[in-house]
Amino acid sequence: MELIEFFGNHTFRMVFLGTTLIGCVAGALGSFAYLRKQSLISDVVAHSALPGALMAFLIAVLVLDASGRNMLGLIVGAVTTGTLAALFANSISARTKIPIDTAMAISLTVFFGAGMILLRIIANGPFPGKGGINDYLFGNASVITIADLTTSAAVGALALILMLVFWKEFTLRTFDPVLSTVLGFRARVIDTLMFTTIVIAIVIGVKAVGVVLMIAFVVTPPAAARQWTSTLPGMVALSGVIGGVGSGVGAYLSIAIGSVPTGPVIVLTLFVIFLISLLASPRRSIITTALRHARARDALRRELLSDLSDR
Amino acid sequence: MSPAPIACQTRNLSVAYRADPVLRRVNFSVPAGSVMGVVGPNGAGKSTLIKAMLGLVTPLTGTSEFFGHPLDEVRRRVGYMSQSTSVDWDFPTTVIDLVTMGTYGELGWIKRPGPAERARAMAALEQTGIPELADQQIGELSGGQRQRAFLARTLVQAPELYFMDEPFQGIDAKSQQAMVEVLKELSSQGKTIVIVHHHLATVRDYCDHVTLLNVGVIASGPADQAFTKENIRIAYEAGEGAEAFLDTAV
Repeated sequence: MELIEFFGNHTFRMVFLGTTLIGCVAGALGSFAYLRKQSLISDVVAHSALPGALMAFLIAVLVLDASGRNMLGLIVGAVTTGTLAALFANSISARTKIPIDTAMAISLTVFFGAGMILLRIIANGPFPGKGGINDYLFGNASVITIADLTTSAAVGALALILMLVFWKEFTLRTFDPVLSTVLGFRARVIDTLMFTTIVIAIVIGVKAVGVVLMIAFVVTPPAAARQWTSTLPGMVALSGVIGGVGSGVGAYLSIAIGSVPTGPVIVLTLFVIFLISLLASPRRSIITTALRHARARDALRRELLSDLSDR
Repeated sequence: MSPAPIACQTRNLSVAYRADPVLRRVNFSVPAGSVMGVVGPNGAGKSTLIKAMLGLVTPLTGTSEFFGHPLDEVRRRVGYMSQSTSVDWDFPTTVIDLVTMGTYGELGWIKRPGPAERARAMAALEQTGIPELADQQIGELSGGQRQRAFLARTLVQAPELYFMDEPFQGIDAKSQQAMVEVLKELSSQGKTIVIVHHHLATVRDYCDHVTLLNVGVIASGPADQAFTKENIRIAYEAGEGAEAFLDTAV
């Protein structure tokens, strides 16, 4: 497909812009999740966003008599259950001897399971606008509206601004939480702000990408970006670029190939970027690292052997 | 002569992890201007004592004060150098940026460090003898260089009271020498230093005061009064094979 044809089509343009925006925001904000080793808890949030998004649909349709697909309502619902699930997992592991990975798996499955039940209830019930509700699972980028795009952009921008304003606090708390506390910064305030930005990064993708794959948008770009950069500003910027470019390219490919879903193609595109980063980055490439280690071991062995023969 | 003023003290401080007491009714006080070594066997609660004083661990009972005030009122006057193993050294940042973090407390929320803060960080790196490493990735530092960078970060805060948790742990002789020089200089400027230290043989080299700790305080005071064979024996619950160790220690 020609690029002119691609961008001339309103739906294609929305898919492209929507996913690029999501990739960019999630990639940039995901850097802090990566450095705080919160990739898995981010997946708990993503999967557990499902019941919240669906409850927002039900409340909108049943109580407010409004459209169930309102992006803001979806975000609020998704943030609520996603956050609850993360708090649930953390409080289990804080109060018991159950390891955190087990607690996260339990939390993720119970919230996701509840979401699946809600999904079935909605699918079988007489709710207006329920068509395509299953898209919350795997996303459907072609249903993004201009209103969705503006809401996502506004919420995403808010999260990015939070990150920039509290950059110093985020950095300190991520690198050295103990010093951060000793210097007088309230841990709970910073953690809440950071968690908010990460949750926003996750939930703005629920509609277009779906709860199942959204985590890839948050963790893959930072992991790739880390290979190339040695400063935090560099990493956040590059991660945002990788997320945006990977999503844009993936969206284009999915449409150009035809009848393949957008989210999964983007995930594969991001993975290719990640793979290239693992292999080709100058300082952290797995190939050059292995070669360097092998050479150093060789030199050491020769040194040890020559010491032996000297005697 | 009146006794030296107190830089910091705890009253009746107890800490328990779950139901096991790690510290039991500790009364610990540090005269201003002294170099106080906190010494004791593994699991004696040395690090926990400092962490509880600094509010990093919630005590079960007791209080701590610094210059006669609770920590929140005098935070800028207190510095803490944690063990360098407590952070991830693969974090993407440079040595100068790490040291600049020491200025974040006085900057407060949101305000960013500027050239003045960087200049002070650079001066602290000069003081610890590693200015040439300023622009290096922190991941490229050796163990001794990491400790020196951490010390520089604490110096930048310009506190009057220093807490240091095992500052000489796993470092090379050159780094150790450089750090000891800095400690001596701080001491000569009248700063108070509290060092968690586990190497008995060198306690007297660095510390003029000693607290022997093993869940409770065994002895505390000027080194020649507190750091005696008898007290060490009690603190370490020394049994077989410990006598030779004690001979080298004191």
